[in-house]
Amino acid sequence: MLQQILALTWKDLKIFFKDPGAVVLIFLQPFMFIVVMSYALGGLFEPGKGAIHILAVNQDRGSQAAAILQQLDALDAFVVETRWEGQPLTREMAERLIVEGKRNLALIFPPDFSEVLEQIAERHSTRIVFLADPTASAQVVEPIQGTLQGLIERRVFIARMPKGIDFLLDTLAPQMSREQREAFKAQAEQAISGGLVGGDSPVVTVEREAPTGMRVEKYPNTFQQNVPGYTIYGLFWIVSLLTSSVLRERREGTFRRLLAAPMRRATILAGKFLPYYLINLVQLLIMLGASSLLFKMSLGYSSLGLVVVSLAAAAASTGLGVLIAGLARTDSQVGGLTVLLLLTMSALGGCFVPRFIMPDWLKTLGLITPHAWALDAYQDLLVRGYGLREVLPKAGALLMFAAAFFGIGISRFRFD
Amino acid sequence: MSSPIIEVSELVKKYGDRLAVNGVSFQIQEGEIFGLLGPNGAGKTTTLSILSTLLQPDAGKVQINGYDLAQDAERIKPLIGLVPQELALYPTLSAWDNLAFFGRIYGLRGRRLREQIDFVLELVGLRDRAGDAVETFSGGMKRRLNLAAGLIHQPRLLFLDEPTVGVDPQSRNFIFEHIERLKAAGMTILYTTHYMEEAERLCDRVAIMDEGRILALDTPQKLIGLLGGGVIHLAIPSDFISMLLPAIRALPHVQAVSPLDGRIKIETTEARSALLELIQLCHARDVPILSLEILEPSLESVFLHLTGKHLRD
Repeated sequence: MLQQILALTWKDLKIFFKDPGAVVLIFLQPFMFIVVMSYALGGLFEPGKGAIHILAVNQDRGSQAAAILQQLDALDAFVVETRWEGQPLTREMAERLIVEGKRNLALIFPPDFSEVLEQIAERHSTRIVFLADPTASAQVVEPIQGTLQGLIERRVFIARMPKGIDFLLDTLAPQMSREQREAFKAQAEQAISGGLVGGDSPVVTVEREAPTGMRVEKYPNTFQQNVPGYTIYGLFWIVSLLTSSVLRERREGTFRRLLAAPMRRATILAGKFLPYYLINLVQLLIMLGASSLLFKMSLGYSSLGLVVVSLAAAAASTGLGVLIAGLARTDSQVGGLTVLLLLTMSALGGCFVPRFIMPDWLKTLGLITPHAWALDAYQDLLVRGYGLREVLPKAGALLMFAAAFFGIGISRFRFD
Repeated sequence: MSSPIIEVSELVKKYGDRLAVNGVSFQIQEGEIFGLLGPNGAGKTTTLSILSTLLQPDAGKVQINGYDLAQDAERIKPLIGLVPQELALYPTLSAWDNLAFFGRIYGLRGRRLREQIDFVLELVGLRDRAGDAVETFSGGMKRRLNLAAGLIHQPRLLFLDEPTVGVDPQSRNFIFEHIERLKAAGMTILYTTHYMEEAERLCDRVAIMDEGRILALDTPQKLIGLLGGGVIHLAIPSDFISMLLPAIRALPHVQAVSPLDGRIKIETTEARSALLELIQLCHARDVPILSLEILEPSLESVFLHLTGKHLRD
């Protein structure tokens, strides 16, 4: 029986590797997704990479706008451009660049910006214009507005402080000599600016940390964030190959020939499904291995956890193929149904869009897909630094999916 | 006479309310080529599928080489080489890979497997194309490889289900020659076809099937003999039929006469002489002849004689 299973497995593996379309679908397609999407989204996960370019038109007669732009430019997330092709930017130039699609954001500081910031008694106001291409998402525009607002508030404080001290001394100690007043102002400015506006030892700093229990020595790069999602997406395309292969055997009568041979139906099914499970495992090995070797992606700290999750994910994926092969009767059913099912499940499971940004109801709905469980398990291992113990429940869920898929698929399976 | 290698008695298979096989019984002797002849839907493939263990019968008994099909299917399977009507091959694999796969399924390994592959490739004339993908083969070559796959494990019984469907005349002759060679080597063959000339040429005995039943079973020569010297279908205006029947019956070369769908069916001892007599009779009685059809003695005309239908209907 084992030799018959091996013969069937070897035959299907040969057929698979002789089909360039199948090899591209299973290996190259997810790998290209990983490469393209990881580089495209690199800026979301790695500071300094993919910084947002902002045009700045500085019409300010004073120095406050220039100081704010310098601080903004010092942040990793932004690159401030005040000149274009050697020329100082004007509003017209900035608008043209946005219309032409060369840039999509611009700040325009008014001529009276410094004067308004430095005033004490008067209540004048002014405004900075934030030009944004309508296609720029709120996730990009709103953080820039927030950052800018914070920098302006700090600038207002610094700009107004000398005049504020003068105002206080005029009111509270009008008898103070000019020399005493200047010495007091200098000490006060030094003390206050050192603590509040980012001197050598800021009073408050913000540091990023992982929750207790997660072993994160270095924050994950774009590949660690993207590889699990697109690997899971690619993994389940085995459904398409397995189902097509079953339909072909039905259509071409090879199942009849196999049924007439001295072997049990269970042997035929085992030999039919095993190669696709093995292809899934090879696929995982290649995706994770290549990402580790080529892109220096960390594989986490638990090799055993990775093996267990991979075995379970491949079982769920092959099982889904068995289910569809059991239900589908025609090639057109397989083509349409498989694409619809795989894309929907991948999207719901978080392969394309992180589940944490989805509404709660959609996050919950995603749990009906094995994709969500597999993705979460891989992220636990690769991104969160968890070990085998933490991923066992998720591997268990994947095995339950596999059992249900195999059970229903085999019970509905027809050889003719 | 030795005991038959296949014994089928009162075999019944239903699909819903339709009786696909309706009480079929026959025996096949070892070394014999036994033909199941009939049109599509006659029940030939269903009968062959039951004998191949692919289908369970609803009633009846099948014994193959002394084993009861219902009890000992796993012992029967290795004895049978099935050549299905479809080209049951893997098109992207080479001829050699296909045969190696089917050989391994039947437990062949190593040197024996290689020798057997070489033997069957030689037998069907495809040894020089062993390494080529099956999808590059012509229809006839695929049919020959289909046959080779059924022979890879040296079965005692070969079941051929319409093995020449869609094959050009040259390849068909090639396949006939292979089958004749296998018969000469002593292989027992069950052959289904709706081509009467194949049954006449190849089969020792033929069972003519229609609508799930065997209508006649004998050697091709004896079946053809049922028609005597041939059958004539004569069409005349219906007013004249009853008047003319006794006169036709009295003609020297006529055996039997009966009305058939507005025509007269005339069984003769010698068709051409009877034809002349008929024309003279109609002329003498001033009866207009609307049409005349001569069925020369053949299995096709036997089928028409038995069912009133053509084999290709």
